[in-house]
Amino acid sequence: MDSRLKDLAERLDAGLIARREFLRKAALVTGGTAVGLKALESMARAQSPTKLRVWLFKSYVTAGNDILAKQVEGWAAERKVQVDMDWATFGDREQKFVAAIEAGNPPDMAEMNYQGPARYKPALRDVTKLAKDIAGARGGLLPYADRVVNIAGQYFGVARQAFPGGLFVRKDLLDAKGVKLPKRYDPDVVDMAKKCQDASKDLWGFGQTLNRCDDGNGFMQAILWDYGGSVWDKDGKPALATTFKKENLEALQFAVDTIQKHKIQPPGVMGWNDVSNNEAYMAGKLVSTNNGASLYYAMVAKKHPLAEKTQVILTPGGPAGSFVAAGAYNWGIFQKSKHTELCEDLIRWVEDEKRFDEYMQASIGQAGPVYKSRADKPYWKSDPNFQGMVQNILRSVWPGYPGPFSAAAVEVQAQYILCDMAGRVVTAGLSPEAALKEAHGRVEEIYKVRRS
Amino acid sequence: MSISTAELRAKTALGPKRTGPLVGLARMLGPDYRLGYLFILPTVVLVLALVAYPFCYAIYLSMTRKYVGVPPVFVGFDNYVKITFDGFFQRAVVNSFIFTFGSVGVKLVLGMLMALVLTSGIRFRSFWTGVLLIPWVAPTVVSALNFLWIFDYSLGVLNYLLVKVFHLLPQGVGWLSEPGTAMASVIGVNIWRGFPFFGISFLAGLRAIPAELYEAAAVDGAGTLQRFRHVTLPGIKNILIIVMLLSTIWTFNDFQIVYILTRGGPGGATQVLPVFTYEIAFGAQRLGEAIAVALYMLPALAAVIIVLARYMRKGRAR
Repeated sequence: MDSRLKDLAERLDAGLIARREFLRKAALVTGGTAVGLKALESMARAQSPTKLRVWLFKSYVTAGNDILAKQVEGWAAERKVQVDMDWATFGDREQKFVAAIEAGNPPDMAEMNYQGPARYKPALRDVTKLAKDIAGARGGLLPYADRVVNIAGQYFGVARQAFPGGLFVRKDLLDAKGVKLPKRYDPDVVDMAKKCQDASKDLWGFGQTLNRCDDGNGFMQAILWDYGGSVWDKDGKPALATTFKKENLEALQFAVDTIQKHKIQPPGVMGWNDVSNNEAYMAGKLVSTNNGASLYYAMVAKKHPLAEKTQVILTPGGPAGSFVAAGAYNWGIFQKSKHTELCEDLIRWVEDEKRFDEYMQASIGQAGPVYKSRADKPYWKSDPNFQGMVQNILRSVWPGYPGPFSAAAVEVQAQYILCDMAGRVVTAGLSPEAALKEAHGRVEEIYKVRRS
Repeated sequence: MSISTAELRAKTALGPKRTGPLVGLARMLGPDYRLGYLFILPTVVLVLALVAYPFCYAIYLSMTRKYVGVPPVFVGFDNYVKITFDGFFQRAVVNSFIFTFGSVGVKLVLGMLMALVLTSGIRFRSFWTGVLLIPWVAPTVVSALNFLWIFDYSLGVLNYLLVKVFHLLPQGVGWLSEPGTAMASVIGVNIWRGFPFFGISFLAGLRAIPAELYEAAAVDGAGTLQRFRHVTLPGIKNILIIVMLLSTIWTFNDFQIVYILTRGGPGGATQVLPVFTYEIAFGAQRLGEAIAVALYMLPALAAVIIVLARYMRKGRAR
């Protein structure tokens, strides 16, 4: 009991004060205490740290994830901000964004993949000034990265990194057969595969699924460019079975031939997902496979015996050259955030070159450059395998190439239309012409819907 | 001296006779019907908020062009018309029916076998019941990921057993890479996961059949098959219908197995409606169209449910 109330009660018992006076004074004491407590509560609330909801991307490179989390925590401690960190993965990233945006409850900021700025633009804040500041201090954005964060002159994402890749080749097997590193798919990769594979030992020359997954998408998109074709023309109109019909047909035929005619791919390859080729390669079942740097990270981190026998080289090309698509991961700030300045401060913090270097070192080739100065870092010369990866990044183009990067181009990828096109030939027995026509119809439909 | 009704009412202070809808309701529902409304109000509010509103809103959204982060635009039945003529949607519908009825049919047979074996004099019955329930109890994601590995061409245990251990095949099978085997594989996993539900439900039904019926049938000279046909099947008929009904709905809406094993591939060969809906919603991010896909088959499923429910009610009435 409050000592003042106790004192009053004793005085009442002793008959020193009247009952009415006791009630009046007790009411004053109780009311005063209540008011004081309320004031204290509001003061405490005013002093409680600001909360920031941040979504980070969880890649397969766990060491990089840990460092990024630590850096964000370090910033939070320095700025006395409470950070509520959450992770999005390859598998649940888009679902999380869609659900949060539609529920009107997105995070304050998030690390998005290359599709983010185009897809979530209505919910994102314009970060042009910040993006230009950061890019300006780092020699400018590489063209492929600029394409995906810069939408009609406005930036809706601050570029961070790209996941480079290349053709992973078993150098030991090539040396044993006296085969040179391939530069083109046809005939180099085909010849290399045929010479080095041994089907009786379940060792296959080339592991590249055309199934519905990111790996399948990436290859199908690149092979069209390699043969001079594309899904889109220069104006961003569908060109699959029109402008580039001849080139696209040749590319599709080659992709299918790797399975049906050349028989350089494992028989189950059309059932693969994004990790199947990693597993098959690490199990010693493949001579070569296209993959991101995460495969190299996994082998090095696990001290896998194949790490030393592997060479990562530039992705092979075709008659029209060698193309790969790279997409810049980037930071987006959501319109609903009430802490824009803090978000910008956090982005500057993690993109600080010292901190990014720490992240890049731990990522073993996975944190590819999006800014010109980052491509020149000595780090990329510290391992012969990094050269192929970084060169792939530097020459990469964007989804939608040779047209603009567009929501329609993103959707064609998201719906695995090119994988289905190849799959319809390989597994359903459609002719390449028929599959191309079918896929073109789907692209046309997407183009119409997105344009409207 | 005669007295009119009005005068009688005036004298006995009864007042005019009450008529109207409220009196009718009171007579029909009981004098305290207003209190009844109060009691069911929370349930009504919950049903409206959690079932009716989302359902109606979904119907509305299916008639809109809706992208993430922007308000919906009403387009009437455009989405329904568009998907009706979409080849991939048509294939998904066909695949959904193959997947559903292929699975449910086999689950029915296996579940019945499981129940019959477990009601026979088998030793360690509780142990076997527990073992057979494992597929049903295990999380679907975990089972599907295991099967993804089992079916792998190069590293999977199935091909290893068939080719290297038992020498049944000269070379492995691409279980998930050919349209036929891919569909058979996803159906197989669904069967593996679902048949214990049939079995355990039938088991409960079989135990409720009085042993005297079997004894009487045996005395009348009925053989094993006749006892099964004339005693067992009628005894579990209602359970059988309920289990089939539930399994049809669950299998039709099964997403995890197909998504994890094939993502609808190769080339759309195992594309089923739930995976198609998911792709349109989160891949294409066309939310209105995705909901239209999800709602498209609702009338067909509702018809199945109504027919089966009526059939069950008739059976009970008899």
